[in-house]
Amino acid sequence: MTSLYDWSYWFCEAWLVPLMTPLLYFQEHIMPPFSNPAGDLARWMESAAGLNVLAWTIVVNVALMIGFTNVIIVVYLERKIAGRIMDRRGPMLSLSSLKEIASDLAGYAPEYNWKTTTYAGIGILQNVADGIKFFCKELIVPDKADRLLYTIGPVIFISSSILLLVMVPFSPRIAASSAPLGLLVVMAAFSIAPIGVLTTGWACNNKYTLIGGMRSAAQLMAYEIPLLLSMAGVFLVAGSYNPMDIVAQQQGMWNVVPQFLGFIVFIVCMLAEVERVPFDLPEAEAELVEGWTTEIGGLRLGLVFAAEYIRGFVGAMIATILFLGGWSGPFLPGEIWFLLKVYAILVFFIILRWTVPRIRTDQILLLGWKRLLPLSLINLALAILYVEVF
Amino acid sequence: MAEMWIHMGPQHPMTHGLWNLRIKVNGETITDAVPELGYLHRSVEKIGERRKYFMNTTLTDRLCYASAMTWTHCYCLTAEELMGVVAPPRAQYIRTVVLELQRIASHLMWLGAYLPDLGLITGFLYGMRDREMFLNLLEIPSGGRLLYNYVKIGGVKRDLPPGFEAKAERVMQTLERRLKEYENLYDNSKIFRMRNDGVGIYSASDAINWGITGPNLRSAGVPFDLRQADSYDAYPELDFEPATNTAAGGGSDCFSRYRQRVDEMHQSMNLIRQALAKMPGGKVMADSVPLRASGEAFRRTEDSRGEALMYLIGDGSDRPYRWKIRSPMFTTVSAAPHFLKGYKVADVPAIMGSLDMCIGETDK
Repeated sequence: MTSLYDWSYWFCEAWLVPLMTPLLYFQEHIMPPFSNPAGDLARWMESAAGLNVLAWTIVVNVALMIGFTNVIIVVYLERKIAGRIMDRRGPMLSLSSLKEIASDLAGYAPEYNWKTTTYAGIGILQNVADGIKFFCKELIVPDKADRLLYTIGPVIFISSSILLLVMVPFSPRIAASSAPLGLLVVMAAFSIAPIGVLTTGWACNNKYTLIGGMRSAAQLMAYEIPLLLSMAGVFLVAGSYNPMDIVAQQQGMWNVVPQFLGFIVFIVCMLAEVERVPFDLPEAEAELVEGWTTEIGGLRLGLVFAAEYIRGFVGAMIATILFLGGWSGPFLPGEIWFLLKVYAILVFFIILRWTVPRIRTDQILLLGWKRLLPLSLINLALAILYVEVF
Repeated sequence: MAEMWIHMGPQHPMTHGLWNLRIKVNGETITDAVPELGYLHRSVEKIGERRKYFMNTTLTDRLCYASAMTWTHCYCLTAEELMGVVAPPRAQYIRTVVLELQRIASHLMWLGAYLPDLGLITGFLYGMRDREMFLNLLEIPSGGRLLYNYVKIGGVKRDLPPGFEAKAERVMQTLERRLKEYENLYDNSKIFRMRNDGVGIYSASDAINWGITGPNLRSAGVPFDLRQADSYDAYPELDFEPATNTAAGGGSDCFSRYRQRVDEMHQSMNLIRQALAKMPGGKVMADSVPLRASGEAFRRTEDSRGEALMYLIGDGSDRPYRWKIRSPMFTTVSAAPHFLKGYKVADVPAIMGSLDMCIGETDK
């Protein structure tokens, strides 16, 4: 059992399929010509392809649950830290405040007592409220939008983001899958999202979304090459694309020390990859209203937001694996170390988001080609030297 | 990409207020811009001609939501000149204090509105937090927080209460401490400088030709300040020099406009301290203010945004025969297409935000 995929494959092979197929075969003989599909389904489930699909379904669902749990935590952290930076408290809605809200709704005058007000809580319920709101909104397609592309665009963005979750391990014990090309596949999946952004931006038939989508494509040109080059240094030193090997290689010293340049380039490019301030050009609200998401609403928008946070989370995971020694650390279990490091990077992302303005499109291209690319090449040269000499 | 027109407004995060900026873009580069005003026109001048002189201060308060005191003051100065009334010296000093407090509050509102234009929402909350202190100060004598109706024809409504100086001093010390923090957060931030340096440049001579006044003119290096050039109230007795700034290559860019307003906040605090120290005793309202007036009068004052000018004609009745307001932002916005061309779409909020738009007074 090396990964969640292997475990769920075994689960399907040993338990799920043997339990379900007799029922389906029984159905096949109830009303033969019409119930034949049940038997076909049973035979497909017993084949290797069917087992594979069933196993992947379980894996993706588990990954989705883990991803959304972390999204809730990251959104909560973002709100609270942003609140502290802005000299306010952030969300305060909690279970105990529901009683007062209910009495408000029932028409009783609220008792304003500054000391004992029960509105004050830790505020985690704010996320639940947001989720309910996203669920309750109608899914509107704009009048002159391209219905097909408008529907597909967010799906590309969201599904490619969730795909990322199944490819990055938490520790040798907790891993969804083990792709032979490891992190290279993750980076390939990372680059799918701008297609969704561009598609949505074009399909909405709105000038703001169009410019937002174009900016996403232009931004891709700027950060993708330095991002991969900064990872290449780590791959060279580890001699593998596999996260397990990369972490094992960092037992003595984390990669952030010898490859500090690469770490800086990677973090900056990852900020651009996950489209956070200062590089959130596709959704610059000052000039483009909401950028490429202007015309999206309801659960689509909620899932796009969640997908953005999942991308940020996976970006921090990759940075941890590549440069911060992954799950290695004393005393505590590896998973705890891994999450601690990931959340340290995420908190850095959040603090950065609320303290710097946004940069311009031409400036990110300039930054990518004139600053980050040479720096990543220098880092790669140093890594080659390191491998050759030692 | 083919050229296309984009409407930024009338409901758009970039427009602080109701107005529309149509820009023609080639890709991301602006090739043409047309500002469209008039969404918020309330016909203040015409309404004012049907109301008595002393009633119009409620209208002038509503000219600009960020700087109500200065507009009412401009109207009262004009009406005083028309009626031949002079405010007592103490009232003049109190006016100077509240005007400068209002100027700081307005500039802080600008600072709060400008940083979200660059993508930093934290700046908005910082600006509003600091403005709150000055609104509290203005609330002490006037009772209002947004619309004061405090300056009256012939003086001010109430005297300053005892202990005002100490409160003002404490607030100003807090603001000075925080402005130092903001210098670390904004001036020393590479990204802030990248977004501001060399963006929206116009030269001093262009600014004069286009009729740009106030901080936007002084940020191009022209030391023209109506508080000295056409002085009023207690300003002649106070010691100050007009603050000026210039961009690195001459002229005015977004960064020099930002620095100009921060420098003016420091200058205003200096003026408040001087005025509070020199505050004479006596009454705060002239003995008698006539209800009727005839003739014509015209005064200009240094508003938070530039040169505010009012022109009144009286025909001997208790209502003005004609009332004309000259808004500083109307001319500035009209000149905006000249220095918007050639920049990127992302620069539009930065350039228009750095001008300190206030649509209430622009559309009147």
